[in-house]
This record gives sequence, C-alpha cells and structure tokens, in this order.
Amino acid sequence: MSAYGALTTASYRASVRDRTTVFFTFAFPLIFLVVFGLIFRGQTVEQSGRGYIDYIAPGVLSWGVGNAAVFGVAFTLMQWRKDDLLRLIRMSPTPLTSVLASRYVVALVIGVVQAVLFIGVALLPVFGLRLSSTWPLALPVLVLGITAFLAIGMVIGSRANTPEAVAAVANCVMVPMAFLSGSFFPIDAMPSWLQSLSRVLPLRYLNDGVSAAVSGRAGLGSTGLACAGLAVFALVFGLLAMRTFRWSNDT
Amino acid sequence: MTQARPDEPAIVLEDVRKRYGDVQAVAGISLTVGRGEFFGVLGPNGAGKTTLIEIVEGLREADSGSVSVLGLPPWPRNMALLPRLGVQTQSSAFFTRLTAREHLSTVAALYGVGRQGVERTLSMVGLLGQADIRVEVLSGGQRQRLAIASALVHGPELIFLDEPTAALDPQARRDLWKVLRALKGEGRTIVYTTHHLDEAEALCDRVAIVVAGSVVALDSPGRLVGAAKAPTRLLVPADRITVERAERIEGADRVCVEGDSVVIETRAAGPVLAAVGEVAGLDGVRTRTATLEDVYLELTGSEQHA
Repeated sequence: MSAYGALTTASYRASVRDRTTVFFTFAFPLIFLVVFGLIFRGQTVEQSGRGYIDYIAPGVLSWGVGNAAVFGVAFTLMQWRKDDLLRLIRMSPTPLTSVLASRYVVALVIGVVQAVLFIGVALLPVFGLRLSSTWPLALPVLVLGITAFLAIGMVIGSRANTPEAVAAVANCVMVPMAFLSGSFFPIDAMPSWLQSLSRVLPLRYLNDGVSAAVSGRAGLGSTGLACAGLAVFALVFGLLAMRTFRWSNDT
Repeated sequence: MTQARPDEPAIVLEDVRKRYGDVQAVAGISLTVGRGEFFGVLGPNGAGKTTLIEIVEGLREADSGSVSVLGLPPWPRNMALLPRLGVQTQSSAFFTRLTAREHLSTVAALYGVGRQGVERTLSMVGLLGQADIRVEVLSGGQRQRLAIASALVHGPELIFLDEPTAALDPQARRDLWKVLRALKGEGRTIVYTTHHLDEAEALCDRVAIVVAGSVVALDSPGRLVGAAKAPTRLLVPADRITVERAERIEGADRVCVEGDSVVIETRAAGPVLAAVGEVAGLDGVRTRTATLEDVYLELTGSEQHA
C-alpha cells in the first residue's frame, strides 16, 4: 500500500472507531437544524420574502461542514505532533504532501456524507426545504469550502499544543463567524454594513454558494464568485499553514 | 537490505556544535562510528545526548561542524538517507485506535514495505500474540516493544534506540538484548542511549560518555574500566576481621564497615585477598571489581546523581 493510502486508512479507522465523535460530527448540525427549524417554522424573511428554512438549512450545513473540517484536522495535527507521530512520519521518506492529502480526502468524505445526511433530513416535510434542480452547483462550493476550512484547521493545529487550546481557538473562530456570515441568522435581515463586513469571512462565501444552489438562485456567476472567494481563502490559509507547520513541539 | 559500502563508517562527526541561547548543548564533538558497531551514548540528563542524537538523525541542524551519516548529510530532511535509518520514537507515537499490527503496517507503508516485514518484526520483538490488540490497551513493556518494532520494520542499516529497555521487566529486558544482539549479528549498526550501565557494558562495543556537551570518554567498556584504575572492593564478613586488622594488610587503601561487612578497597586485589585468606579465611568473602558504572560516576560527578 502507498504511504498516502496507508495514512488515509489509518485516519479512516481512527475516525470510525471513535463512535462518540462520529455521532456528534453528524448530529451537531442536525441539532441546530431542529432548533432553528422549530424557532422559525413557517416564517418568511421580510426583506426577501423567502422562507427562513431556505436560509437556515444551507447556512447550518455550511457551518457544520466547515466546523468538522477545522476541528478534525486541527485535533489530528495537534495530537500527532504531541504523540511524536509527526516525528515518526518525519523520519520516514513520506512527503508531507502525502500526509496532508490523506487528511484532505478524509475531510472531503466526512463533508459530503454530512451534506447528504443533512439535506435528507431538511427535506422532511416538518422542515420543508425544497431542493432546486441547481443543487449540483453546491458540490464545487462544498469542496472548495472544505479545502479553505481545512487550511484554517491546519493553521490552528500547527499553533495550538493542547486539545483545550484547539477547542478554544477553533470555537473563537467558528462561532462568531457562523453568526456574522448568516449561518444561524438570515444575512438579508442583517444591517447592510454587517452584510458588507461579512465579505471578509470564508463562511459567507460557502453559505452564499450552497444557499443559491439549493434554492435555485444559482447561476454560473454567483457560484463562480463563491468558488473564487473560497479559493482565495484556501490559498491564503494554505500558504500560512505551510509556514506555521511544525514537525515537533520543541522546534 | 544491501549495504552500499561496508568499509565506509556509519557516522562521522567533526567538531559538531549546537547552542540554544546561553546553553552550549553540544560543544564540539568529533567521533566515528563504524559499520556494524554497537555504540552506546551515555551521560546525565541535560548533557546534550538528545541534541547530539537528533543532529545525527537529521532532526536538528548543527550550528557548525560536519555530520556524515552513511556517507550522506542528514540535514535538511534527506529522502535518500531516511529509508536506511530506523529511529525508535517515544512509546506514545502510535496511530490512535489502531491495533499493534495495523500500526506497524501503517509505519511499514510509510517506508514502502509490505506485509512480510510486519509479521517478521512483530515476531522478532515478541508481539505476535498481541498483534490484534489496540495500541491504547497494550502494557508499558508491550508499547515499548512496538516502538522498537516501528524502528526496525523497514530493515534499516543504522538503528537509533533511545532507552529501549526503560519500561521492561527483567525477563523482557533480556529478551530484547537477544533481539539487539541478533540485529548486530546481521551487520546493522546500532546507536543506543541508556541509563542502564550494566546493559551498556554487556551490549556495547564502544561507549561515549557525554558531559556538558563534550565527550569525556570514548572506548570499549572493558578498556574504560581498566584505564580508570578504580579500586577493587573486598567484602569480608564483619565477625571475622576487625577494621584495625584489615588496615594493617599491605595494599589496603581504605577500610570501612558497610552493613555486616568490612570493606577493603585495594588496587592490589590478589595479594590483599591472599592476606585476608590467612587472617580470616576466604569463606563468604566477596569481591567487587570496578564496573562501567564506577567509571561513569567518576566522570560525570556525583552531584548530578543526588
């Protein structure tokens, strides 16, 4: 087996054997869907006339996928470094890119499974999401979104040395961003200056892209803008991650 | 594993230095380790052993001096050299929630080695019976052996072991000695740090004793002990000889009472032993010759072992 394949298998096994984390990775966004779905049931957003669920479902999904990507890779990197596993890999002829590529594939698979499960539940009559025929346009957005958030998680996992630090930093990044980017609260109902400000946040582009695709407002232009925005964040944080990467805690 | 040039030394260090802030961790070390040699690195904690080893492994860059490992520079990360090195990491360095066999297979794959190497290495370190147990559940000694297996699975030419017997019970320790001697028998070079001086004496061809970033002694354990001229201690049951009588024996350098024995320190063990035989009889008399531990304590200073 190739080093890349072996690392992917090892990550996959470590993931599925940790049932608690598996359960909450997939249940967490669903819990938010239920909470917001019940709060805003049957309501529409005044500014646009569209149902709340049309905003909240793609928003919570985007946040859930981004959150899982950030936490998954940040914890893995911190733990592998702390356990000296990165040193073990460092002493083998396996390139760093194989290590990161295997983690990337695991994150993509988790993200796609999350999305399928989440959309499936949101389509239930009680939540009343309507899936437009433009939904496949959400796929490139999701892939680029996972890439961008994975890069953010790599930066956090390279800097933080304890599980507590990873959780604290990642939550500080992800929770305010979820509110400011319209994941938990319709962006159209926010003050216009806040809507402009949210353009500097990667989650805004992920929300917009997924939301437009799911609700049928997506065109090549809007999907292209979301993808371009996420690609820029992926590139910036990817470069930052390469610079902050450490094989060991004491170097 | 083919060895390209068996006549070429495994490691050549010339005036290697490394400083961290005000601390000179490695203060100009030069040494050569030959192919197939079992080489011990001894020294108190904080003496610079770890830094020195990490420079040789290529994990750290020396400030100055030259480092050649199997004829190649180890720094920066040298992809041509890495498959020929085996490094024992801490016994926490396991892929989470995998079994011992799965972990070792993953490590093998990092080196591009297949299943056969995995089974052979598991059997070599005596872990075949625990191969399907999760790494988290293994005992301390089993984890230690798995960490060593991780350094051996790809059949490296040069093996670095860091206190490999630290967490092992006496039986497992002796079993590991057999493994290490077998590796040496296959012509592999072993660089090995330990605090067990009896072990270094039993296993190593040569040892380097490192104190404050410098090598203060470098030779075979036997020659180090011989050169140190440390006294032999004769322990005579206290009811058979008095201190005063013992002090009158020619060649007795120092006499004292320890527990139920009168201890005579001497550098002329033969004549003194004969004299003791005449005075007290040799029944129950024990002799303690100098060991590597005596040499080590002499060189490293007793204050570091308070």
